[in-house]
Amino acid sequence: MADNLFIFNFNIMIKILIYKIKKNPYKFFLVKLVVLFTIIFSLDFFIGNILGYFYFKQESGLQYRTTYSIEKTTADLLIFGSSRANHHYYPTLFEKRLNLSYYNVGRDGNFMFYHSAVLKGVLKRYSPKIIILDFIGKEFEENQNSYDRLSSLLPYYKTHPEMRSIIELKSKYERLKMPSFIYPYNSSIFTIAIGNTEFNKRRKGDIKGYIPLNKTLVGSIEIDSSSSKYEIDSIKIKAYESFIQDCKNSNVKLYIVCSPYFTSYNHSDYSLIIAKEIAKRNNIQFFDYSNDSTFLNKPQLFADISHLNEEGSKLFSNMLIDSIQKTIEKESK
Amino acid sequence: MLFNSFHFLFFFIVVTSLYFMIPYKQRWFLLLVSSCYFYMAFVPIYILILGFTIVIDYFAGIYIENAKGSRRRLFLIFSLIANIGVLAIFKYYNFLNTNFSFLMHGFGLDNPIPYLSILLPVGLSFHTFQAMSYTIEVYRGHQKAERHFGIYSLYVMFYPQLVAGPIERPQNLLHQFREKYDFDYYRVAEGFRLILWGFFKKIVIADRLAIYVNTVYNNPTEHNGTTLILATIFFAFQIYCDFSGYSDIAIGTAKIMGFKLMTNFNRPYFARNISEFWKRWHISLSTWFKDYLYISLGGNRVSVPRWYFNLFIVFAVSGLWHGANWTYIIWGGLNGFYLVFAIVSKGFRDKINKFTGLVKFPLINNVFQILITFMLSCFAWIFFRANNVSDAFMIVKKILTSKGAIFIENPSIMIFSFLAIIILFLVELKKEYYKGNFSFFNNKRWLVRNLSYAALVIIILLMGVFDGGQFIYFQF
Repeated sequence: MADNLFIFNFNIMIKILIYKIKKNPYKFFLVKLVVLFTIIFSLDFFIGNILGYFYFKQESGLQYRTTYSIEKTTADLLIFGSSRANHHYYPTLFEKRLNLSYYNVGRDGNFMFYHSAVLKGVLKRYSPKIIILDFIGKEFEENQNSYDRLSSLLPYYKTHPEMRSIIELKSKYERLKMPSFIYPYNSSIFTIAIGNTEFNKRRKGDIKGYIPLNKTLVGSIEIDSSSSKYEIDSIKIKAYESFIQDCKNSNVKLYIVCSPYFTSYNHSDYSLIIAKEIAKRNNIQFFDYSNDSTFLNKPQLFADISHLNEEGSKLFSNMLIDSIQKTIEKESK
Repeated sequence: MLFNSFHFLFFFIVVTSLYFMIPYKQRWFLLLVSSCYFYMAFVPIYILILGFTIVIDYFAGIYIENAKGSRRRLFLIFSLIANIGVLAIFKYYNFLNTNFSFLMHGFGLDNPIPYLSILLPVGLSFHTFQAMSYTIEVYRGHQKAERHFGIYSLYVMFYPQLVAGPIERPQNLLHQFREKYDFDYYRVAEGFRLILWGFFKKIVIADRLAIYVNTVYNNPTEHNGTTLILATIFFAFQIYCDFSGYSDIAIGTAKIMGFKLMTNFNRPYFARNISEFWKRWHISLSTWFKDYLYISLGGNRVSVPRWYFNLFIVFAVSGLWHGANWTYIIWGGLNGFYLVFAIVSKGFRDKINKFTGLVKFPLINNVFQILITFMLSCFAWIFFRANNVSDAFMIVKKILTSKGAIFIENPSIMIFSFLAIIILFLVELKKEYYKGNFSFFNNKRWLVRNLSYAALVIIILLMGVFDGGQFIYFQF
């Protein structure tokens, strides 16, 4: 009897509460909002965690290579850079001639911020013997795109505090977005799905991060006479300086390289001039092959105007190794 | 300040909360100050241009109302010259000068008139047209001159529709600033629903399609006809979702505070002819041109050739309104031509329909007409999107002559793009033909409603492009 009375009273209390809430539109709205946000946060947590699980479970593809670079590789020689790094440094030549294990950390369409963040992740675990940073023309140009591309590092934000300060450069509201569990994997659902299959391995297998290009460029050399001056982004220069400093602090031998372009320039690239100056100031060897005569007007060595093909990459790798060996010899004397 | 930014989110929360907290008589002031802040978040100095047109039109309205006879017309002309003058200087000066230079070169002469290094104020064409509609309506006697300077300023500057419309009429908007709107749960929920759908259109569809469209259209020489066709179809959806998405957010934001802005898009790609397309696309602008230019030119109450001329010229001017470039003028002219051709060929088309017996199958006939209209609008979009006229003609030529495999740089982008278009199509199809059926957002069950909202948010998080894409219509 007493139990029934309690249930009866409780039901009435609930009904009164709902009536009171409904009577006040502000309260009614807030309650509905809380309910909606609870559903959204639950779904976000659930789906985000599933995506995270499958993201780090990938065994091939771009995202897998980034994870491998940051969390697994223990290679003696690491190649950093964008797509040009990815396609220009032939692994077996470096391994045989320098007698070092090799991994190519380069990633398409990513720039100085990415290299700097990945380096921090690597150095937290171990110090490679040699790092080669492939430097591209207009690297320091003011360009929103290079900030947007930091989205490729969002999955590592929560687990890699050493990379956070760089990832947060993406936008000033990045910290506010990061509580979402789905956001780090935004636009990645299909890439994650493919990375968990054998598709990438069958399609375009990488050799220790290096991806050979088998095309041959058709066409004659282009002369770039665009202005050598453009707006320089000082934050990018700081990232470059920090990259050098991090290598120095960890006693890693750093070589900075500007690999060959098919385009011929009427002038020296502004970023290249700055990068060389900074390297010189820090006693870092800078090898500039951007206008090297060996590659000048030889389309058979290129896949497109910015990328060497496999044959070109072998030739270039041998030339670079010669230069590195000479430097090592000189330093040992 | 972009709608798709955190800056706007904070702004919106603060302004809307304050709006319902303060006495309603002071709300106009809050909205005016916040609208100034909203506009100044782009380029602060350009508020002076807005201020200039506001002062001119405010006094012009009063003088027009007080004056009699030809003086009324004089004040109206003065106001129109001031407004069009601002547009001419900031939007068309360099375009006109370039064309003048071209003409002078034809005669072997140099153009002595210098170019101006000026940045186009955000949304200039929108607020100028809205201001012009005020003085014209006062002149026509459809609207009393507004004596309250603050309220009039707010009419021009009301932040939800300040930079990309809908271009309001004074009869619809001005009186609303004096009305008291209480917090109404169902209205607020409807406003949020519109905002959410607007964000979906912008972030998930428009910005996603923009990646492919920009890659192809910024380098058309590198792509074959098949790729250019796909990029053009993508652009048709991109521009629709970009602009109607903005309108949805604007209408939703205003609705939460109680304001009712006019509908700007009504599922235009379900139109069965070009005339219907223009009754569904950017309605606030097409009705503006109809009310203030087409009718002023005599509309269809003139000789037939003059009627055709009126139609053509209205669309050409509408093209020019979009931007100081021949591509826009050709786009407008092409739409004018479609309309004139539709009128001229109506009898012939009716005969063909009768002959083929297509009219007996309304479903097939409708689908056929919708597809033809969509293809015609897509063809015109080529000129709208191309970087210049020669690119546009090259794209048309390639579409007609060069075939090949579709360019796919990133399969993910393709999948997301098609998925987004399919979602849009299903939602619009439901709204167009099955209005009362299987409603998710208005479902009687609260769980279905809440899950629908949540699903939309999750899709935005999963598939949206979060790298801050600008709204295309801001530049107009």
